Amino acid sequence: MAEMQNSNPTILNVADLPTRSRELKKTTDHDSGIFAAVPNPADFLSSDSETDDDLLEEPIDEQEIYDLIKSISDPEHPLSLGELAVVSLPDIFIKPTLPSVPTSPLQTVTVLITPTITHCSLATVIGLGVRVRLEQSLPPRFRVDVRIKEGTHSTGDEVNKQLADKERVAAALENGALMQVIAKMMETCQ
Amino acid sequence: MSNLNSNSNPSLSLLSPLTPPSLERTWLTAPHPTLPIVATCSTDKTVRIYSLTNFTLLSTITGGHKRSVRTAAWKPHITGESVLATGSFDATVGIWRRWDTYGQTTADHSTSLNDDDEAGLGSEADDDEEWRFAVLLDGHDSEVKSVSWSPSGILLATCARDKSIWIWEDLDDGDNNFETVAVMQEHAGDVKCVSWHPVEECLASGGYDDTIRFWREDLDDWGQVACIKKHEGTVWFIDWEGADNIPSTSTTTTVTATATTSTTADADANTATIQTQWCEQRALSGPRLISCSDDRTARVWRRLPKEGTNGINSSAATGIPSIIRPTGSDENWEEDAILPHAHELAIYAVAWSKKTGLVASVGADGRIVIYEERFVQSGAAPAPAPVEGEADSEAMEIDGPLKTEWAIVSVVDGAHGIYEINHAAWAKRADRGVEDGKDEEILITTADDGSVKVWTFQR
Repeated sequence: MAEMQNSNPTILNVADLPTRSRELKKTTDHDSGIFAAVPNPADFLSSDSETDDDLLEEPIDEQEIYDLIKSISDPEHPLSLGELAVVSLPDIFIKPTLPSVPTSPLQTVTVLITPTITHCSLATVIGLGVRVRLEQSLPPRFRVDVRIKEGTHSTGDEVNKQLADKERVAAALENGALMQVIAKMMETCQ
Repeated sequence: MSNLNSNSNPSLSLLSPLTPPSLERTWLTAPHPTLPIVATCSTDKTVRIYSLTNFTLLSTITGGHKRSVRTAAWKPHITGESVLATGSFDATVGIWRRWDTYGQTTADHSTSLNDDDEAGLGSEADDDEEWRFAVLLDGHDSEVKSVSWSPSGILLATCARDKSIWIWEDLDDGDNNFETVAVMQEHAGDVKCVSWHPVEECLASGGYDDTIRFWREDLDDWGQVACIKKHEGTVWFIDWEGADNIPSTSTTTTVTATATTSTTADADANTATIQTQWCEQRALSGPRLISCSDDRTARVWRRLPKEGTNGINSSAATGIPSIIRPTGSDENWEEDAILPHAHELAIYAVAWSKKTGLVASVGADGRIVIYEERFVQSGAAPAPAPVEGEADSEAMEIDGPLKTEWAIVSVVDGAHGIYEINHAAWAKRADRGVEDGKDEEILITTADDGSVKVWTFQR
């Protein structure tokens, strides 16, 4: 790889990154709604079939998406996308893909990426890494939409169009050299 | 208003999947022009040949491509042998050949095992099962996205991510030689699709630069004759209207309007008038093109008749128009229609039936939508016509160009479960369920999970 593009990025402390445990303690609409009705977390441990069903139906949320991608390594720093705040929890959205079809299981996961510098040429590779990670980890009923956060990159539209192109992404997955870079980024993921 | 309700629920129903499916993403399924077989392109680097008589796998073409097979097309107008062109992410185009013995060995109701004209070839039964690799066309720098044979079967167009379109001539010299006729590089991004005009040597292409372009040969040089920049996203697929297509008159407002006052004979005469007028107008502009895009629209494009002929706004009912032979100069293509909005995500393919005129669209939202084009009686419902045949038929005289509208006649959500649908194609029905003497059509859809499904459309 050539010279570093951003040799002095801002780094977040891993301990400050949002995690699942803290999320549960936070008071959100969910807590007062659905989760308030759950009496005791210990109930989840029982093998009662009804509870199993509940577990199965528990939707994948933004935190889970974040957990999947925060540990991806930056291609030029020995740091994770979470630590560099390239990905962050408030920039992840999950919405029904077909709101007009209530029975449809399709959901769209949107991840907005904030490159460390506005002209980072690795933005496409980072975006591809995030898209590949999510497509490989999420059930196929999810449509993955990875985009550069508006105003954070000089050629954001170009990068977005490329990341949204299914055919280009599919071809990239068959490109050995590119996949080596992606695989290296994924090494730090569980 | 009774249009939709009075129809006895036209619907698309699943006839059968093609089995066994590919275990990886399939991109496209190309129906053979004459035989009841299809070729399905898979990410597993193979092409699967399925039977449309029993929906099972006949053979698998392997070993030719090093990466995903993205596209395939059958060479038209050859007998005794089938020739398939395949395009792959490995940047090459493969040509495959096989003697036509399908039907003799696999069809379930074959009646002529002995008296077929291919008895001589039958002696090498084993070899006949094999697809013979003929030649690899090398020239593109990156993934080949689409291939298309010209109506004569002499020219093959191929396009790729390298922004170029190549036209090859099949020299048909028995030695599998192809000659490069032209390389066009005007597209500013991946060329996603190429498709030949149904009768003329005119090529249309669409791509990542959101444009649709038209190409013709002028004095031995292939060049761009038109460029449409109306889509707001990648143009994923294009398809031509059949050369003899006439929109539906069975469900137009015309019929409902006349039903109250006129006899069936009047309605028939009226229908005939409209159809004649349509054919006259259409001789001026030729078959239209349909395109679909990442911008979630499907649009129909029409060529404006050349200057020097009767303008399109004058009544086409006078005189018989001459057939226009463009001389290679620029052409003007205008938007004829935007199909009713029906997809929430990118539309990956459209298929315009050459037989029924129905259009099918599929895309990332997993939906199949069927559209029908109908005549609209412009300025219908004038003064209530007296109950007399003559006055009535006079009211049917139509001024100006005929208008049509596109209506959605069927929608299937989750047609391949949760998976995206990459391609749709119409084909002739050939299984046992087809009624004797009937010429039915089926729709074949190809999806991300490797599944290919065959549907029938009932009115």
